[in-house]
Amino acid sequence: MTAPMNSALLYLQYHSIKNRIVMRIKRLKQPKYLLGAVVGGLYFYWYFFRTLFGTRASGQAFTLFASPDHQALFESIGALILLVIVLLAWIIPHQRTALTFTEAEIAFLFPAPISRRTLIHFKLLRSQTAILFTTLLLTIVTRRLGGQAWIRGAGWWLILSTLNLHLLGSSFALTKLLDRGISTWQRRLAILALVLALAGVVIVWGGKTMPALDPSRFDNLQAIQDYLQQVLTSGPALYLLYPLRLVVRPFLAPNAAVFFAALGPALLLMLLHYAWVVRSDVAFEEASVQASQRLAEKVAAVRAGNWHATQKKPRSKRPPFALRPTGSPAVALLWKNLISAGQAFTLRIWISLAVFAVCASAGASQATGGSGLRPVLGMIALMLLFWSLLIGTQLLRQDFRQDLPLADLLKTYPLRGWQLALGELLAPAVVLTCIQWFLLIVILGLFWQLGGAALGRLAWLALGFGAALIMPMLNLIILQIPNAAALAFPAWFQAAKGGVQGIEATGQRLIFMLGQLLVILVALIPATTLSGGVFFLARKLFGLAIAIPLASITAAVVLAAEATLGILLLGWLFNRFDVSAEMTS
Amino acid sequence: MIQVKALTKLYGEFIAVNELDFEVQPGEVMGLVGPNGAGKTTTLRCLAGIIPPTRGSIRICGHDLAQDPIAAKQQLAFFTDEPRLFDYLTVQQHLVFTARIYQVPHYEPLADQLLQELELAVKKNAVPGELSRGMKQKLAIACGLLHAPRVIYFDEPLTGLDPIGIRRMKDSILKRSRDGAAIIISSHLLHLVEEICSHILILKDGRKIIHGTLAEITQKFSAQAGDASLEEVFFRATGDADKGEG
Repeated sequence: MTAPMNSALLYLQYHSIKNRIVMRIKRLKQPKYLLGAVVGGLYFYWYFFRTLFGTRASGQAFTLFASPDHQALFESIGALILLVIVLLAWIIPHQRTALTFTEAEIAFLFPAPISRRTLIHFKLLRSQTAILFTTLLLTIVTRRLGGQAWIRGAGWWLILSTLNLHLLGSSFALTKLLDRGISTWQRRLAILALVLALAGVVIVWGGKTMPALDPSRFDNLQAIQDYLQQVLTSGPALYLLYPLRLVVRPFLAPNAAVFFAALGPALLLMLLHYAWVVRSDVAFEEASVQASQRLAEKVAAVRAGNWHATQKKPRSKRPPFALRPTGSPAVALLWKNLISAGQAFTLRIWISLAVFAVCASAGASQATGGSGLRPVLGMIALMLLFWSLLIGTQLLRQDFRQDLPLADLLKTYPLRGWQLALGELLAPAVVLTCIQWFLLIVILGLFWQLGGAALGRLAWLALGFGAALIMPMLNLIILQIPNAAALAFPAWFQAAKGGVQGIEATGQRLIFMLGQLLVILVALIPATTLSGGVFFLARKLFGLAIAIPLASITAAVVLAAEATLGILLLGWLFNRFDVSAEMTS
Repeated sequence: MIQVKALTKLYGEFIAVNELDFEVQPGEVMGLVGPNGAGKTTTLRCLAGIIPPTRGSIRICGHDLAQDPIAAKQQLAFFTDEPRLFDYLTVQQHLVFTARIYQVPHYEPLADQLLQELELAVKKNAVPGELSRGMKQKLAIACGLLHAPRVIYFDEPLTGLDPIGIRRMKDSILKRSRDGAAIIISSHLLHLVEEICSHILILKDGRKIIHGTLAEITQKFSAQAGDASLEEVFFRATGDADKGEG
């Protein structure tokens, strides 16, 4: 019975992978996926594969694995990392073993005449897909550290496969302990006691046999390496870490001969783990059904665009302000999306933060005096301000991107397209603006003396005022770009959100980022041109303190006009957005 | 109240709805029935302003849905088979939000009444994730009825409801009809349609097969073979009599 079953499960696995690949290839018929695949392929080639298959000689980039001392140290560190992972696998879990199957697999396989052992084999086989993919990625990354690619790849595969088997075996063992009435806390205490006892043995042994810990020796990296190596390779630590060293050793092998010498023990350890796992007779089915249901719910929610489902379930949140039943309907969408954004975005919190920013930056100004800390803090705040423009729009998605799965509901509302667009953009724009104003206060405070000396205090304040005026308009414009993309290319947008993965999706994201940068630059041209003209004219006539706010107001007005046009365009796009045609395609 | 003329919806070359004409007057409940893929949901979505028709006109309470969508949408409510709710808003917050969207100045008494009627009062601080499917359906109904719509569409209104919920839903539909609302119900449950609808429109392949009062269409088919139930009418009208009997 087992052999035909295994072949049936192999058939299932093989065709699942094959069909997935075929589906992805077929999708390339659509130009946007093809373009994404080309750009994504070039990106992966340029950054990763070029170094893997390219002309760069092995070890030329960084000879990390060249020195035997380094290898011994890395072997010890690797073994120590594995030890921590293994210990955590024995300490943290508090539930019964739950092998995750898809709902379809549960429906087909669980009622079928398939033994538990065969199901475990299937699970192990399926986990190999993820392991092989992770191996490829890690090989590409660690290839940059030198050595032969195939050795790194095989080494990673051995480490990941053994670790996977150990995690599975430990979860089975923990379930058995639970079945025998040993509670999670009893088990945790016992393991922690064992770990402490072993650590105690190592420390006592080290204290007796090794030279005393002398901090003055740690004046260079080599001294630290030597000491660490000595601790980890002598006495009880040597024996404690020995099996884990065997797992890491093939990965660190500098050449084929060393690799094959290390391969035997590592393979033996992996086979022992395999025997341990397949011989475990633990009832995992019930927990697996529950885990699979939870997974299916999450996947369904994410496919429907509800990204919150990957996080913990939403709970009731306090509204940011009391919403009256009459007034601009766009404010209702702002109110709704601020609730979605979370408890942190209330007026009270922002006022408190602003007061804190003023006090803290003034305090820092006094405390640091002429030291270099103040400009460093100021530069960090300035950097965060710029990053908020680029990254903030990606992090704050309480707009059309969040509500697209409910587009049919939004379309029944008695609102014009531009009202919906404005309402949807307001929440992330308000939150981003508050963050930026907070950072501006910090920057103004930290550079108060420097800026005041360079421009005059009034002009320095005017600069802050001008920036504060421009920021909300800029946010509104920048936010329109991902929202317009979501409405114009909903399938593309969904892909970018996690519905579709792969090279083409990466390529699409890259194209999108480049497009976003281009639109920002184009949007800034009229504003900078006009405000620049106003600035030079006003500076001659009224001086710097007047010229800066005048130029800022001009820039803000131009940006506001652009934002208005963009909102009208976004509203038009939403009106044209054919829910049934787009969301089902 | 609802006037539909030559409504046509194309997806590429595929005709989902083809030259559909009908009217629904105040107090009437029209059952929209047809086999899978007949165009029922597409029709309802066009009537609710969710998707634009390719051709034809839709008037809601005298307002053209394409020319004056705001006034038309102010008068209608659309209840889908799967309740459409915001995950992060509580029951109470859904009502506050809906009141602002539809500009209902003194909504509080009506909201309280709806919460009581629909047994949602105790759950007013719960988010949809904490509600059962039936409760979610009730919340969607409370939101939809808050602005006292004069035109109401239901797409498979009984999906997921328990027997008590089904009874209440039927009563609610009939009450709105008695209050003068024009109602369209799309459903595969022919006994439901037969029980509460005054008019029937049967669609097949996007085309209108038959339209009239329940009495008219049953009479038409009774002339051929005794007293015909809506089920028999449906099978004969859609040309699937053999399949239905089989």
